[in-house]
This record gives sequence, C-alpha cells and structure tokens, in this order.
Amino acid sequence: MDESIEYRECLIELIYQLADDDFLLAYRGSEWLGLAPHIEEDVAFASISQDLMGHAALYYGLLEELGEGKIDHLTHNRSPEYFRNAILVELPNGTGTYLENPSYDWAFTVVRNYFYTLAKKVRLDSIKKSSYEPLQHIVQKISIEMSYHMMHWEVWFKQLISSTAEAKSRMEEAMSIVFEELGGVFSYGRIGDRMARLSLIESEEVLKERWMVYLNKEKIQYSMKMKQGDGRNGIHTPHLAEALATLSEVYQSVPTAEW
Amino acid sequence: MSHKDSLFYEVYEVFSKKTDTSSLQHQFSLLAPNQELAFVMAKENFFRREQVADIWVVKRDHIKRMSQEEKEAMKHLEKNYRETKGYGYLKKKWRQYEQEQLTEKDIMGGGEG
Repeated sequence: MDESIEYRECLIELIYQLADDDFLLAYRGSEWLGLAPHIEEDVAFASISQDLMGHAALYYGLLEELGEGKIDHLTHNRSPEYFRNAILVELPNGTGTYLENPSYDWAFTVVRNYFYTLAKKVRLDSIKKSSYEPLQHIVQKISIEMSYHMMHWEVWFKQLISSTAEAKSRMEEAMSIVFEELGGVFSYGRIGDRMARLSLIESEEVLKERWMVYLNKEKIQYSMKMKQGDGRNGIHTPHLAEALATLSEVYQSVPTAEW
Repeated sequence: MSHKDSLFYEVYEVFSKKTDTSSLQHQFSLLAPNQELAFVMAKENFFRREQVADIWVVKRDHIKRMSQEEKEAMKHLEKNYRETKGYGYLKKKWRQYEQEQLTEKDIMGGGEG
C-alpha cells in the first residue's frame, strides 16, 4: 500500500477513536443532569460533560478538514457500526432511562470517569509526541481542561474508596465492571500496530503499563479486559444504538434543516 | 435538606484572585462535605468561563464573624474631628496660586528673547 495512503488511514482511524470516546462519555454525563448527588456536583459534572463535548467537536472538526464529511453528519448520521468508541463509554449509567426511573450508579460513574480520564491523559501525552502536527495542537489544548477533570474525578475516587464500608464495597464492585471493559479503551483496533509504527501514538502495551503505574499508587490489582464487544472495530452493545437514537432524534426529524 | 445531611455538608466561603497581584475577593459560598470537595466544586461552579489566578476555600465556621452584640459595641460617636477633611481647601488654594502666576506672556511666549 502507498505509504501516504496508509498514514492517512491510520490517522483518521485514531481521530475517530478519540472523538467518539469523548462524544459518548459526554452524552452519558449529560444524562446525569439534575440527578447528581448534590447541586454543586450537578453543576460541576454538567460543565465537565460540556467540556468533553467540546473536545469531541475539535476532533470532528479535524476529521471534517481531512475530508470525512460535515461534523453534523459525523455525529448525527453515522450508523453505530461506524463508531469507534470503546464499549466502556457507551454503557448506561445504571438502570432506567433519563425520563423513566433513572436509577444511576454514582460509584460506577466516578470509577468510569476517573479511569477513563487517566487513560485519556496517558493517550494524549503520547500523542503530544505524535507525527501529525494539527492533532498535536488540538491535544495540547484539550490537555489543559483535562487536568481539572482529573483533579475532580480523583478527589471523588479517593474520598469514596476511603469512606464507609458500604462506599468501599460499591466502589470495588464498580471497579470490577470498569476493568472488564478497560482493555477496549487502550485497544486501537485492527490497524493499531501500524498506528504505532507510523509514530502517531505509542503501542497499546506501553500505554497500559503507564496507566497501571499511575493507578498502582492506589494499590489496586485487577486486569483489563474487553468483554462485551470490540468498539474500535465497530462491534458494539445495543446501548450505543439507543444512545445515538436519542442524541440524533431532533436532527433526524428534519435532516435537511439548517442549524 | 434533612437533619443528617445538614451535619454532613458544611458551608464553605469561596475567595478568589483575578491575577497574582490583584486583591482577594469574596465570591460565593457553597455546600461540601470537606475542603477537597469544596475546592473542586468552587472551580467548576464559579470559574467555568473566566480565568482565575487563585482560589481559596474556607469553612465558614473557621471564620470569626461579628455577633450582634459585637456589632453594637463597635458603634461610636461622630469622629470628624479625627479626619483631615478640614484641609480640603488646600488643593483649591494651590490651584489658585498657580493660575495667578501664569500671565498671558507666559502662555504665548514672545517679548523677552
């Protein structure tokens, strides 16, 4: 294969992964609006979710520049099998829906967001040394806001895990669920080896190792798996299709409307 | 909020500085169970858009405030005799003297040269 065509393919694939991860987690975060444990957290969490949506928008903007189509199309008119997000970020917040009996799990939310943000930091730090400059610029911008997100989720994580016996057991249960899909966050999918070879990002193993070094400060031992699908290769749970249907409901009602 | 909650959450006062050299200003208060959470909540609740150079959070109970009795005790008689208002006319007087010394010659120049 021609080298520049191969480079382009790997680059675009990587950006979809970064974009779709933030996009879906921003959506899951938005579903907590009005339901978070207390009013101050409700505002803070909603704001973080907006930030994540902003990060996704930067990546989708880059995809648009690379000829992948309009941002609105990429977010609202793409079938689930074309989404490259990890399964971890598409899982619902708990049982029920936003409108009907939402019984969301705060421990799961804290663990998912903390572990994801930590993985995001490791990924973005690696991309800062990437071979593609426009992506480097975006990643540098995103990293600034991400450091606050880290601080926020780290405080919640540390406080809940060292709180009451009930909190500790709920957090441990949440961790076991998150670890079952965390491997999927580090996966780059089919062409992952080539991404590393082309210096777009370092290898999955290197990044996983770095992540574990961060977390081992907390003395937590689990192994990362990829259980319910393979998001990077377009194999998703039905939760993704449901989330996308809600997300694009208004857009799909009049696809030709000008926004 | 139930009685149990009101023991768990406490009021924190939030102060901030716009720049390193500007003075500290009281901004808002919020509810949090401890200092660390109060701090992260302060950041995202009140400084989402504007830049901030420093944020301080202080538990309200740790601040010595005035009781009604103390407020009463701080009242005192008129103290204008201690103020320097009496010298307020000096500025005006100086201006007057300065003005008088400027003749038309001074302003337009010419004459001696």
